Amino acid sequence: MDLAAQLLVNTLQIGSVYVLFALGLTLIFGVMKIVNFAHGEFFSLAALVVAVLMPVLAPALGLPLWVDFLIALAAAIGAVLVLGTLTYWIGFERYLRDLVGSFILSVGLILFLQGVFVEIFTATPRPVEPIVTGTISIFGGRITAQRLLIVALAITFTAMLYLVLQRTKLGKALRAVAEDREAAMLQGIRYRSISFYGWLIGVSMAGLAGALIAPLTVSQPAIGGDYLIKAFIIIIIGGLGSIPGAIFGGLLVALIESIFGYYYDLTIATIIMFVLVMVFLLVRPQGLMGHVER
Amino acid sequence: MTRLLRTLALLTATGFASPALAQDTIVLGVSAPLSGAAASWGIGTDWASQQAAKHINDAGGIKVGGKTYKVEVRSVDNKYTAGDGMKTAETLISRDKVKIFTQSVGTAPVKAIQALTERENILLFTSAWGRSVKGPSFPLTFTIINTPDEVLAPIYATVKQRHPEVKNVLMLNPNDASGQDTAKDATKFWTEAGIKVLDSLYFERSTTEFQPIATKIVSQKPDIVDLGGTPPANAGTVLKELEVQGWKGVKVIGAGTGSDVLVRTGGTAANGTYMGLAADFDGPTATEVQRKLNAGAKEVLKESLNVIHMGGYDGVMAAKAGIEAANSLDPQKIAEALPKAVFDISYGKAAFGSKDVYGTPQQLLIPIVVTQIQDGKTVEVVRIVPDELKKRLGQ
Amino acid sequence: MSNAKWADVIGWALLAVLLVLALTSGDTYTLKVVLWISLNILAAAALRFVMLTGELNIATAAFWGVGAYVAAILTAWYKLPFFLSLLIGGLAPMLLSVLFGYVTLRTKGPYFMLISFAFTEVLRLIYTQTESIGGNSGMIGIYPPRWLDPYYSAIVVAIVAALLAVFFWLERGAFGKLLKAIQNNDAVTESVGIDVLKMKVICLAVASFAAGVGGALFAHANRVISPGDFSFLVAVYALAYVKIGGETQFSGAIIGAVLLTLLNQYVIAFGHYEHLFFGGAIVVAMLVLPNGLMGLFERVAIAFGGTRENAAPAARGGH
Repeated sequence: MDLAAQLLVNTLQIGSVYVLFALGLTLIFGVMKIVNFAHGEFFSLAALVVAVLMPVLAPALGLPLWVDFLIALAAAIGAVLVLGTLTYWIGFERYLRDLVGSFILSVGLILFLQGVFVEIFTATPRPVEPIVTGTISIFGGRITAQRLLIVALAITFTAMLYLVLQRTKLGKALRAVAEDREAAMLQGIRYRSISFYGWLIGVSMAGLAGALIAPLTVSQPAIGGDYLIKAFIIIIIGGLGSIPGAIFGGLLVALIESIFGYYYDLTIATIIMFVLVMVFLLVRPQGLMGHVER
Repeated sequence: MTRLLRTLALLTATGFASPALAQDTIVLGVSAPLSGAAASWGIGTDWASQQAAKHINDAGGIKVGGKTYKVEVRSVDNKYTAGDGMKTAETLISRDKVKIFTQSVGTAPVKAIQALTERENILLFTSAWGRSVKGPSFPLTFTIINTPDEVLAPIYATVKQRHPEVKNVLMLNPNDASGQDTAKDATKFWTEAGIKVLDSLYFERSTTEFQPIATKIVSQKPDIVDLGGTPPANAGTVLKELEVQGWKGVKVIGAGTGSDVLVRTGGTAANGTYMGLAADFDGPTATEVQRKLNAGAKEVLKESLNVIHMGGYDGVMAAKAGIEAANSLDPQKIAEALPKAVFDISYGKAAFGSKDVYGTPQQLLIPIVVTQIQDGKTVEVVRIVPDELKKRLGQ
Repeated sequence: MSNAKWADVIGWALLAVLLVLALTSGDTYTLKVVLWISLNILAAAALRFVMLTGELNIATAAFWGVGAYVAAILTAWYKLPFFLSLLIGGLAPMLLSVLFGYVTLRTKGPYFMLISFAFTEVLRLIYTQTESIGGNSGMIGIYPPRWLDPYYSAIVVAIVAALLAVFFWLERGAFGKLLKAIQNNDAVTESVGIDVLKMKVICLAVASFAAGVGGALFAHANRVISPGDFSFLVAVYALAYVKIGGETQFSGAIIGAVLLTLLNQYVIAFGHYEHLFFGGAIVVAMLVLPNGLMGLFERVAIAFGGTRENAAPAARGGH
């Protein structure tokens, strides 16, 4: 085993999911100017839906496992979109651009949804059968075929989001709103509907991350919490609202976790990340790739 | 949802948590994590405790001094922290007049609760392991599951005997009070067994990505990896990562509970693992009571019971035995009577003992079972009935 | 009397009721609840004081924890007098907050919020890694002096009331107006020759002293502390009290803390539904009462012919 290669492979595995998760968070911040503390709940919901459906689908349909997984993934995103729409209509719509109000609302939602998830899905950790088996070696770093598949999917989704933001009309409107809301509105962009779409895309990214992680780990209602804290670090480093920043930040955090987790331990790695965040903010308060907030 | 509705109906019917319960009801407290990453421990414990209460009430209740009492179990969420453990315990004690905690889960909250219960003359049953919660300075605390002190020596001896070539071990534990206590005990017992401890690693309980840890473990090339007190779901993930990264050695989970979750998460990587606390409540050596409870749990909770859950049932049964032996509701008197009693719990007949180890006879005596995962099945490798228990039962 | 004055009267009356209960009640449960309510009021007031400048200071939880650990070490290890350790328990986080504030208060809005969040989590992780203060198990055996035991709740209410009086006095005075000016537009405030950073740091230091004392009182009330007790959730709950009480009014923190603490006591009996109901209550309150209970009170008062008070706008995250 080549150590350097293994550490890089680890970074890629961890980082790809972090990036997806953080992208959603940073997109929501960019458009709505709120920090969605309930982001982890959308992640958990998707992971739980996949973990519940996979064991049921396989015997019921008799299709190849990867087809089952795609169906479960679609169902998970569907569930996330429903929950996203509900929470937006009922709550977040009233707290656009209100950092403090939306914060409390999302904390209330975390507690509430945790309770609901335990009620629906139980607190039992749920594993999923591997979709593909086997182990692959990349320059001496070992990775399961399953992981590799997930990494590939995560990269695909990230690229798709990037293309949507760069090329489509919706994407351009989203970026314009994030850049300067007033100017965007003067251009005739309808802020309220754009922020709704931004929210839905954002929570779907969390959902995608959750659905992808389900076959790799064990899902239970509290699974989103760990990712949330990491994602905060990522978006501060990358700059709130910055898409390239979230990608870079996600990979950097994964690299730190991989290296310091190896040489010291994961707690030290987390402490180092936090300290790094503070240093970062002192040198560049707007984050690595963020622009100055007004 | 039906459980929720039933709880609401119950709360409304009983006047919503008011202390004004009927006089002939004994309220028993349970303190366990009911939310967060460890929620499944608490929820299962609560369920098993309620089953014990139901069992007792169906059989007519508890008789003290010619009067018959019903029992009611109230579980509170200690969130696995000292602060919340203390707060919720104080509420149970001062509002609901709880005199007995029949089960308390999590070393940090239990240490906190213990500071209170010992001072205020309240009986505490616990599944927290580590010597720091046991002994003569805690006359009102009783341990109701096997702990590392009972389990580790036999399981390590078994490993050593079956794999004479092993020289060293690497340990991984959750970074909290329970994990740290387990690591301390494990280091002692491995060293006594003549095995060198290469390193002792920790992870945060909320960790979901274990590749860096696995890489670190593999690079030290240990003969044995002991996952100590690592929860089964995490342990399965770690074992899978170890297999991917090419490590092949002896797998031990000294204080491992819940083997079915381990098998489901670890897949084939879980095969060969030795576990110290993974009683199989479905298997041929389980009692009738345990099999029935386990079947019920699978239906309601969609999960098999583990020894901590079972501690919830046994705590209530032990409390009943203590009250009847003392013929009193005074915790002091119950604590004095309990060590002399032989009583029925889920494992059959049991008693409290182990005075020679801890200085006081407050450890529940139940069979010690070493299991191994073989082809995805849990197989009993060694089963030791404590000599003290045999003597007490007159065998 | 104007609405704001009425609101103040309600707040202080609630504190008086707490004090009377603490002094006269013989029921241990009542005394405990009074104690928890008072501590929550203090946390909420400390958080709200920094919100006057427009910043959401999650590190209130961190300073609360520092106060708790410092005071616990002083009484449990060094056997220092209880009241002296309270004082040091306030001063230590105050000093730390000056350092923290001097470097971080240059940022604002979401960045300051997230950095204060990160700071809180770092401190918590450091406690877990420090063997000498018990690591994850925390510290046990933190007792107030025995002669104080029966009066402990009353002492806590009195100290909390005294600290609140200081907050009240500062907020209504010239300093409070300055803080609100910073919230409204810090650039303009800076341009008239006021050192905004310095004012913000002073504000943070005052709030952190109170938070530290609160943590010290908490440690001695709870008798055990562990790192898990000082996660960012302490600040989150404090913010919930402030928001649901109504952040524009000084009394909002008091009313919110009283109501939510009582509600929490009520939902504890729900076992694992505790979260569901408590979280649900917060969500509903945020939807039904966007300006908190004080906002509702104000609306009712206006409907009955009162006048709208020119209350300070809420912290809006630096935009």
